[in-house]
Amino acid sequence: MGLTPLFIGLLLFPWISAMLIAIISNIPKSLIATFSILLSLVQFIGLAYFVFQSNGNQASIHIDWFTLGDTVFRASFEASSSAQLVALLVALVAFFVQIFSSSYLKDEANLARYYLYLHLFAAAMFGLLFADQIWIFYASWEMVGACSYLLISFWYQKNVSIQAAKKAFLLNRFGDIGLLIGLIGLSIHFNTMEFSGMQIGSVGPAPIAIGIALLAGAIGKSAQFPLMSWLPDAMEGPTPASALIHAATMVAAGVYLGIKIYPITGEDTHLFMAAFGAISLVSGAVFALFQNDIKKALAYSTISQLGLMWMGMGSDASLLHLVVHGIFKAGLFLSAGSVIHYLHHQKSSHHLDAQSLNQMGGLRKVLPWTALGYGVFAAGLMGLPFTNGFYSKENLAGFLWENAQNSPFYPIYWTLLACLGVGMFLSNWYISRQFYLIFLGKNRAQLDLEKPEKQDIAQHVPVLFLALFSLFFWTSTQVLHAEDSWLLHWFQIKIIDVPGFWLVITVCGWVMGITLTWLSRHWVPSKNYQFWPAFWPSIFQFIPWKARWTNIIDSLLLDRFLICLAQLQVVTGHIIAWIDQSLVDGILVGFSTRMSQFSGQLLSKWQSGKVQQYWILVFLTFGLFLLYIWM
Amino acid sequence: MAAIVKWENGIKHWATGISVIQLFALIYAGTEFDQSATSFQWKEELQWIQLPLGSLGEFVIKYSLGIDGLSFLLIALTGFISFLAIINSHSIQEKKGAYFSLVLLLNAALMGCFLSRDLFLFYVFFEFMLLPMYFLIGIWGGPRKNYASIKFFLYTLIGSLFILIVMLGISLAYIDPYETAKHLGLIQEGQNFDLEALKNIQTAIANKEIANYDLVHSFDMQALSDVNNCQTTSILHPNSGWLLNGMSARMWGFWLLFIGFAIKLPMVPLHTWLPDAHVEAPTPISVLLAGVLLKIGAYGWLRTAIPFFPKEALESANIMAALGAISIIYGAYNALAMSDLKKLVAYSSVSHMGFVLLGIASFHAEGWQGAIYQLVSHGILSSLLFLVVGVLYERTHDRQIDHYSGIATLMPRFTLISGIAIFASLGLPGFSGFIGEFFSLLGAFTSPYIHPAWAVLGAFGILLGAGYFLWTFQKVYLGKTQVFNSDWKLPDLNRLEIFSLFSLGILSILFGILPQLILDWSKYFVSNFLTTLH
Repeated sequence: MGLTPLFIGLLLFPWISAMLIAIISNIPKSLIATFSILLSLVQFIGLAYFVFQSNGNQASIHIDWFTLGDTVFRASFEASSSAQLVALLVALVAFFVQIFSSSYLKDEANLARYYLYLHLFAAAMFGLLFADQIWIFYASWEMVGACSYLLISFWYQKNVSIQAAKKAFLLNRFGDIGLLIGLIGLSIHFNTMEFSGMQIGSVGPAPIAIGIALLAGAIGKSAQFPLMSWLPDAMEGPTPASALIHAATMVAAGVYLGIKIYPITGEDTHLFMAAFGAISLVSGAVFALFQNDIKKALAYSTISQLGLMWMGMGSDASLLHLVVHGIFKAGLFLSAGSVIHYLHHQKSSHHLDAQSLNQMGGLRKVLPWTALGYGVFAAGLMGLPFTNGFYSKENLAGFLWENAQNSPFYPIYWTLLACLGVGMFLSNWYISRQFYLIFLGKNRAQLDLEKPEKQDIAQHVPVLFLALFSLFFWTSTQVLHAEDSWLLHWFQIKIIDVPGFWLVITVCGWVMGITLTWLSRHWVPSKNYQFWPAFWPSIFQFIPWKARWTNIIDSLLLDRFLICLAQLQVVTGHIIAWIDQSLVDGILVGFSTRMSQFSGQLLSKWQSGKVQQYWILVFLTFGLFLLYIWM
Repeated sequence: MAAIVKWENGIKHWATGISVIQLFALIYAGTEFDQSATSFQWKEELQWIQLPLGSLGEFVIKYSLGIDGLSFLLIALTGFISFLAIINSHSIQEKKGAYFSLVLLLNAALMGCFLSRDLFLFYVFFEFMLLPMYFLIGIWGGPRKNYASIKFFLYTLIGSLFILIVMLGISLAYIDPYETAKHLGLIQEGQNFDLEALKNIQTAIANKEIANYDLVHSFDMQALSDVNNCQTTSILHPNSGWLLNGMSARMWGFWLLFIGFAIKLPMVPLHTWLPDAHVEAPTPISVLLAGVLLKIGAYGWLRTAIPFFPKEALESANIMAALGAISIIYGAYNALAMSDLKKLVAYSSVSHMGFVLLGIASFHAEGWQGAIYQLVSHGILSSLLFLVVGVLYERTHDRQIDHYSGIATLMPRFTLISGIAIFASLGLPGFSGFIGEFFSLLGAFTSPYIHPAWAVLGAFGILLGAGYFLWTFQKVYLGKTQVFNSDWKLPDLNRLEIFSLFSLGILSILFGILPQLILDWSKYFVSNFLTTLH
């Protein structure tokens, strides 16, 4: 009971922070940044204290919110251990991102607006993580989407960024219809509106239709296949915001939904989730190879890694990788931000695109700390030993392997394991290649690179701290086994050991990935290949028998399909509007006009003004009347 | 002369003063209102017309008013929206006296509509609304004002014709037991008329123990809602077996009433008067039209069509839901194609009112609460949207979406409030728009009377809504600053505009976070109604 006030305070504090920022938005910019960083530090410390105090227990709040008919809607929040863990991640990354932003965006005129959005996002995200009432969950889910819209379109004068923001919001909404229907389905199936009250018990797990509907929402939010195309576009927003929202936290909300529904859905839903994850893992990794823009490459890498979490089906393996990935991916984005920031402020590269790989290479000399951080994060992504990534990936493989032993669907699990192997190999390739292309070798644009005059502490500290958090001692005290660690004990994460043969595969993956990087080190993609459109032709250029396959696949393009779908809606809109104006309105108005004209003309003929005619009519009528009487 | 001119200038202050007094009266009423009461409060009942018709019995028309949760919500809405419409009428420069008196007349008619408990009185107010609205659009409207006002007039008139037919039929067929007892001297004026006495009289009437000329017909809505009051000889009696085109007389009655009010809502395909009327009407009149007038359609269903013919309404639930879903989708598609801001908002109204119909068709507590909530929420949001359009129109006299781009840089405050209006209207949680749409859908999903496909279709309407609203926001507010005519001056909001826009925006957020502020009012209305219905 003692924790309840603190819990409520933690939920409300980000809202209050946002309000405070809005109120003081006129004070000098450096003060705003400091103030905002302080606020997020308070939130982080409060949360850490809360986690420490609750000591693995669950704190919950249930307040009557309103009544509808006989149904009482309660405002309920629950701090389960998974929610606490992810919330810690969010608070930590948010804090470092705010520090980073104070340097990265120091020339920005609307800094207060930026920090306001960040706090709003944090508020909605904490709501999402702790919500127990499904409708509060849904509301927070939509709110984080709206914050993402606001942050992507932060530079609203740029046409690309507002297009990207709109696309992100609409694709998310598309999935959210599924989520809405799925949540209604859940509440009917379990006859409760709280996640904590949903027990398989007598009613059995939720049927696959509900599972698919729910996962449709998660597909939109996590940018999984086939709604993945909004995430690379969303990179038009400020880079630190991308690190927080579109890499570490918001996109992981889809996985978090998977974690929430893992105990209450059946294996069919789990396999559905894993299948979509596998597709995203492999295709995201392939596309990460074909990007010229470093942020877009990282965006595809995020899609791919989220796919990896999806393959964990929402079990503890997913949760562990979610947290580990959140740290190193935020780090990767922040380091990339440092690189972009550096190139952007170079005189020699002023007119060039600061995000393009074409003018990178050899940056280790001028940005040594960033290179170090990037190296650690990339190692984490590859799952090299001594990083957390190693354990979380092995754990995922172990999870799949164990299920393959016990499940009647074992062929699917073996297929998933194969996909995992391929995906990991591709990941090793693209991330080591990217590291090489940015930091090693010679500068490809022959830029005259100057060493920055003074080290930018606000940019280096977050990167180095996140690098520290990516190292192995958080998850394990041993080299090859994840055990005995504080993190796993505290949050009760189950670890599954992986058989020896998988280690061999992993090692092969590293070797092959790095070898391929060395072999392909001179090739830089000339542009950003999008998912599907115009991508396949470029791949087939390497292959002599490309021929007509390109056309066939090109016409099945997914993104183009979605665009066509959207355009179709607008065209339908115009057609319906035309129907509305000419047919519906036309018929109603035209018919009544005609009718009145016709009857008017008919009646006006009787009013000829000739007395004789009137007399005839009178006699005729009178005659008929008499006839009627006598008959 | 000078005095008249002065008076003309001061008239706005008079009108504002009157609406402020009305607002205070409403606030007082709100504090005194007993939310847990099951029946009407503050009843006021006077005999108005008594018409002995010999063997047909006697007709009694009463002036009877009363408030329950539903009517209070709507009169509060009326009071507030009228107040905003009046203070935002500065664009009206000519014939101010006539203008403000017509607006106040309209306000009175609306209040009367939401307060009457007598069908005849309701009808009188309903008809009376037409007149001021017709002149307000016809005199102070835009270039096609004649067309629009005539169209509005004719559509509504046809609707009220349908209502009139049913009203006459049903009052002839039904006997008011209370009035009959009073006529016979069984009870005194103001005496309590308990359930047992009611039953006794009803059996006496059914057994023809009371002479024909002693029977009293009335238009009292409560009496008309009890099917036991129907004379056995009438075709409106459930057992009459009278069919026309395969539909019983009661079914005909329900559908005539339904369509009569559907025109007002407006429901597709009877909606085409709405975009025309909105485009031509001056901003404050658009606000009143969308904010309050449309609600009478739904109010009419809840007060007359459904209680008079409950079984028929239940049987038609599926068709009603289909019509609602079609309205949602159809209105949204139309809005997607519009290039005129006001037309866009008008079609979005059609789409949003479709949710009301869908919620009502669910015949489920959640759906009904959602529908009533949506009435209030749409009243707030559509007023806000029309005021937003009005702000732009006043500065430039242009409403084409593609004539604007990136005005966020010029008018940051205006962009903030427009953003709130747009995100609230597209149903973002945390704003009132979400709650109404969401509970209507929830009701539709859980209802046993309608096919879930209609609910799914309605859910897709939300996506289309996001589409056209975001598209508009992006085109008009975001992007590079560029306007059609370089002479346009676009100063940010003045104080009056800030007050009226932000008060609506804050209400929307408040009701979005604390939905019980509205749900508590309609709670007992809905639960009573549905228990008697099922």
